[in-house]
Amino acid sequence: MNANGTVTIDTVKDTVYRSCLLLDDENWDGFLELCHESLDYSITAFSPEINRDMIYFSHDYNGLKTLLEQLPKHNTDHSPLKRHVSVYTVDLDEKNGAASSVSSFVVYQNMLDGINSHLDSGENRLFLIGKYYDKFKLDSGRARLMERQARLDTRRLDKGSHFII
Amino acid sequence: MPARNHRQWNDVPGVLKPGEWVDSRIYSDPDIYEEELEKIFKKVWIPVCHESELPEPYDFRTSSIAREPVIVVRGTDNQIRAFLNVCPHRGMMIERRPSGSFKEAQPSGNPKHMTCMFHGWMFDMKGNCAFITRGEDGYQDRLKKENVGLRRLRCEVVFGGFVWVCLNDQVPSGVEEWAAGCFDCIREAVDTEPLEVFHYHKAIIGTNYKLWHDTNSEFYHDYMHYHNRVTGFNDEYFARKNVGFPNGHVNVNSFTVKYEEYEGFESRETLSFPGFPPNQWYMIDFFPGMNFNLRGSALRCDIVTPLGPDKVMIEFRGLGLKSDTPEERRIRIDHHNSIWGPFGRNLHEDLIGVAGQGSTMLPGSEPRRILHGRHEDEFIHDEIGMRHFYDEWGKWMDRSPSNPMEKYMAAAAE
Repeated sequence: MNANGTVTIDTVKDTVYRSCLLLDDENWDGFLELCHESLDYSITAFSPEINRDMIYFSHDYNGLKTLLEQLPKHNTDHSPLKRHVSVYTVDLDEKNGAASSVSSFVVYQNMLDGINSHLDSGENRLFLIGKYYDKFKLDSGRARLMERQARLDTRRLDKGSHFII
Repeated sequence: MPARNHRQWNDVPGVLKPGEWVDSRIYSDPDIYEEELEKIFKKVWIPVCHESELPEPYDFRTSSIAREPVIVVRGTDNQIRAFLNVCPHRGMMIERRPSGSFKEAQPSGNPKHMTCMFHGWMFDMKGNCAFITRGEDGYQDRLKKENVGLRRLRCEVVFGGFVWVCLNDQVPSGVEEWAAGCFDCIREAVDTEPLEVFHYHKAIIGTNYKLWHDTNSEFYHDYMHYHNRVTGFNDEYFARKNVGFPNGHVNVNSFTVKYEEYEGFESRETLSFPGFPPNQWYMIDFFPGMNFNLRGSALRCDIVTPLGPDKVMIEFRGLGLKSDTPEERRIRIDHHNSIWGPFGRNLHEDLIGVAGQGSTMLPGSEPRRILHGRHEDEFIHDEIGMRHFYDEWGKWMDRSPSNPMEKYMAAAAE
């Protein structure tokens, strides 16, 4: 790995970690700034119950933007989601200005609403586990997200969420 | 009126009559919950899965009804049969996985058999005992394979390929008769060609199962779905009627949904079900708590498994046609997820609503009235669907929903 490759790998990792910090802060605009206009975002899972790959959520850049802008019009569980992420692998395709990464995530709900906030607020509950399968466009020293697949192992999703993962 | 003191709070509000409210103890009393399992859930037809979840001979799917473990298997004759998932030897659960195939051998048993891993007893796909390990050595001629078949359960595959099971051998009617015509409105759509499940997820919510059914049975809560309400509702939306059927089932009539008017949604005219005009929407609220919701291009099915007076598991399925092209399937999935997915717009709001109800109706909470008293000529904000359900519930339980400590009487409000 040459020095430039190392720098690029760090850039990819930085984008993954920054994306999670921005999502943790519900800074949706900030997250979208890390994304390429051709973004394909999805939440998927395999169900052993029905023996089938499933798509739980899927949007392109504009669809995601519209949805995130509509969040204030929805009644929602206000408990913030907090992501703990480890980037496991980064593969570079510098010839084509592309990269991909695989990261493991654990998402906690930092309870605010809960079922009864008198009892639940302040508690953390494990919400989801899974992996990010990300693809990037490398351009001008940036790694912008072209594709994010949040692949869940969790299929018991209880109340679910209006927030993206 | 100002806020009420305790006596006023316990008075009948306005001039509502029994039947126009239920007593919250029906949602919270542990004894009533246990009685519901015995008197209702062990007596009626319950959908446990869809036939597309076990497409090949030797495929199986496990479930449970009223704490009783159930296994559904597809035989070599392609028939789907249901059994208690309990070994007749020592009561071990025979199959522990949610689904799979018995074609493969297991450490304790041979291929093409259900094998209890504990002592290696094996059963064929018809529930016959096929092998008792060291049978003659231990039982001589006192017990033979013929004496220890599995407990078979009544099972029918009907209404779009759903697998229905009844724990009661003496159930007086099949699913068709039990449904009493409530599926007729979507019959052609779901029975013309095979359906296939494309979506599954589950929720365990701290609420009573009936509160989820109530939410599916009343549309007044469209005030909670503020975004849809302000962007997409039209006069036709409110012009639908609730239609009661025998045995506590309810339909909500269809209308043409103009999805393109919902901000953030696209038209759904391109894809539907056989004989089902585009963008129609029918709901079937099936006693004692199942819901079938055919909305344009996707069919949703909710199956409830009560886990306590204040706890329910809801399994959510989405279905399309088995013949879908990849492109058609993708469209159905997107349409399904936008509203009904675990990260969709409506489902999260609905589940917050019933969780909030559950938190105020815990076992031991003070009894209070839950109002079901809206009358609007049976249009969708009329709460006749819930009143129809609870009248049936009262008959099965021999309890008055408005005062569950008294015996059932036909509700005045009906």
